[in-house]
Amino acid sequence: MKLAAIVGTNASHSYNRQLLQYMQRHFADLAQIEVLEINQLPLFQKSLPRDQQSAVWSFKQAIKTADGVIFSSPEYDHSIPAALKSAIEWLSYHCELLDNKPTMIVGASYGPQGSARAQEHLRQILASPDLNAAVLSGNEFLLGNVATVFNEQGELTDKAAVAELEKYFTNFVSFTKLLNQRSPQAALMAIKQPLISEAFVQFPTGKLSLQQIQQIFSTMPFEVDFIDATDHFSWFSDKAERVHVRSVNSLGETVQECHPPLAVPAVEKIISSFKSGEKNLVERCLTLQGHKILIRYYAIRDVNGHYLGTMEFTGNVDHLYELFKNGSFAADVTTGASKKAADSTDSTDAATGASQLDTAASAQPTTSTAPAAPDTTTGASQHQE
Amino acid sequence: MKLVAIVGSNNQVSYNRLLIEFIAKHYPKFHLEKLEVRELPLFNEDIAGVTPAVVEKWTKKINKSDGIIIACPEYNHSVTAALKNAIEWMSYQVHPLKQKPIMILGASTYPQGSSRAQLHLRQILNSPGVDANVFQGQEFLLGQAKTAFDQSNEISDPKTVSFLDDCLQAFAVFVKKVKRGNKGGK
Ligand SMILES: Cc1cc2nc3c(=O)[nH]c(=O)nc-3n(C[C@H](O)[C@H](O)[C@H](O)COP(=O)(O)O)c2cc1C
Ligand SMILES: Cc1cc2nc3c(=O)[nH]c(=O)nc-3n(C[C@H](O)[C@H](O)[C@H](O)COP(=O)(O)O)c2cc1C
Repeated sequence: MKLAAIVGTNASHSYNRQLLQYMQRHFADLAQIEVLEINQLPLFQKSLPRDQQSAVWSFKQAIKTADGVIFSSPEYDHSIPAALKSAIEWLSYHCELLDNKPTMIVGASYGPQGSARAQEHLRQILASPDLNAAVLSGNEFLLGNVATVFNEQGELTDKAAVAELEKYFTNFVSFTKLLNQRSPQAALMAIKQPLISEAFVQFPTGKLSLQQIQQIFSTMPFEVDFIDATDHFSWFSDKAERVHVRSVNSLGETVQECHPPLAVPAVEKIISSFKSGEKNLVERCLTLQGHKILIRYYAIRDVNGHYLGTMEFTGNVDHLYELFKNGSFAADVTTGASKKAADSTDSTDAATGASQLDTAASAQPTTSTAPAAPDTTTGASQHQE
Repeated sequence: MKLVAIVGSNNQVSYNRLLIEFIAKHYPKFHLEKLEVRELPLFNEDIAGVTPAVVEKWTKKINKSDGIIIACPEYNHSVTAALKNAIEWMSYQVHPLKQKPIMILGASTYPQGSSRAQLHLRQILNSPGVDANVFQGQEFLLGQAKTAFDQSNEISDPKTVSFLDDCLQAFAVFVKKVKRGNKGGK
């Protein structure tokens, strides 16, 4: 179970952060808790330009992919801090990120009341229709007098408070499991099967069952994403170890929503060039964590050329590159001067050939088909390794 | 009488600002001066040790005034982060709201018209770090704000205008009383 734990303050020293870090360690066997900071987020403003929303986008992604959310809120002036309220406003505006999301509230404060009033406000805020979070009721964890309850290792020394927190957190884990079970999308992903496994699709070139189609997509060495004709992310191939990790929670989002804000202009440009018919293919090469990644965007059209959507075809081409360097492609079989593949990979002749081909390749950059290729530093999608 | 009005929305187009502008126009006797929450940086304890010049400016203006009207929008059943932010600045190194007569009103595009946000704001203004003298009783809520103003930004419903007038007159009496009380105390 993956939980996102939001530090409810932008201050660099925070007891609420300490509390969440303690929970992260203490409950490591029960859940994987990611501690999320809000100090990078701009103050919520409806018309903030998208290129200033990169931090907001990353924050939203982290919430989206979590099974549940924990808020640890300080109390400022008998309510939650403005910085936390602002983060919540971002989560509510034009998105339903917290809708029915299992949520737990904890809080630490300097005084004895332990942020009780702030927690009360937070509960009311999270119940508002634009948020509609599934907040675990009861199980109120208020940690007062925080300056005295953590030791130097950041361990909570108050035994009664630890016991209480363990009880409430265990309740929250059960609550989260229960709620997430009900999600049909989660169930669908769990069985890794299309819905009607008995159905067949009759292509002009043969017949495949839905199950076969699913497994072909999962097995082929490239991953595929599809954006439909109305610019919504509508499908991705369910392949293990993807370069771009996708989540079913993102399905149905517009391209503007599912890409990092800085990448959106480049993606929009590609799609509009496909829609206008100006282009059918845009290619990008990039190196990610030492791997060579090839991304090709294709315009998908019906037989009359009518635009149906954009396919993003992404793969790690390290292996192809190695084969190429080893000279596996050195000889042209049609000339009859070919060697067997097994010979060529370890022959010194082939190695010489490879270096020549290297020169040839660098004279013809593979990106030449893509004058409009987006800057690789912006990335057309998030790289979540 | 000199009043300050705080616009609790950082939107470019704001019904709460329209409401304040409506009051400024029809009640010249208040000498209403508008303060915009969007001028303020986001409060952060790391930097709050030094009070920013703009917060100093607010403090001076508020100190010189007899009372404050806050136009309070509602986001997610509470006050906006932008307004809460302004209050945090004024409850940390400087405390200009202390014992200041404050009237809360608000506009919202939903039917209930910021009622929940106003309740939260009352509780916030009553917290010890703020300790304002919040005017009780009259609650002015302008719901369905999209249709409440006409083309020339006047409130079109006469009953609403008359209720607003009741609220403002009662607040003016309250401000005078507090002022007299303060003088008497000296
Ligand atoms: C602007 C401001 C207002 C505060 N108001 C309250 C309050 O109403 N009640 C309270 O218990 N503590 C209040 N505090 C103190 C906080 O509880 C204390 O700073 C605590 O350490 C904040 O949590 P953190 O350590 O996670 O940042 C306030 C602090 C600030 C900076
Ligand atoms: C993030 C967000 C949350 C909102 N939540 C509420 C709400 O809980 N109740 C409400 O009455 N209006 C809500 N609204 C609508 C506001 O009333 C509306 O945006 C109003 O115009 C804000 O005031 P302003 O015009 O002065 O900026 C919300 C708006 C936003 C952007």
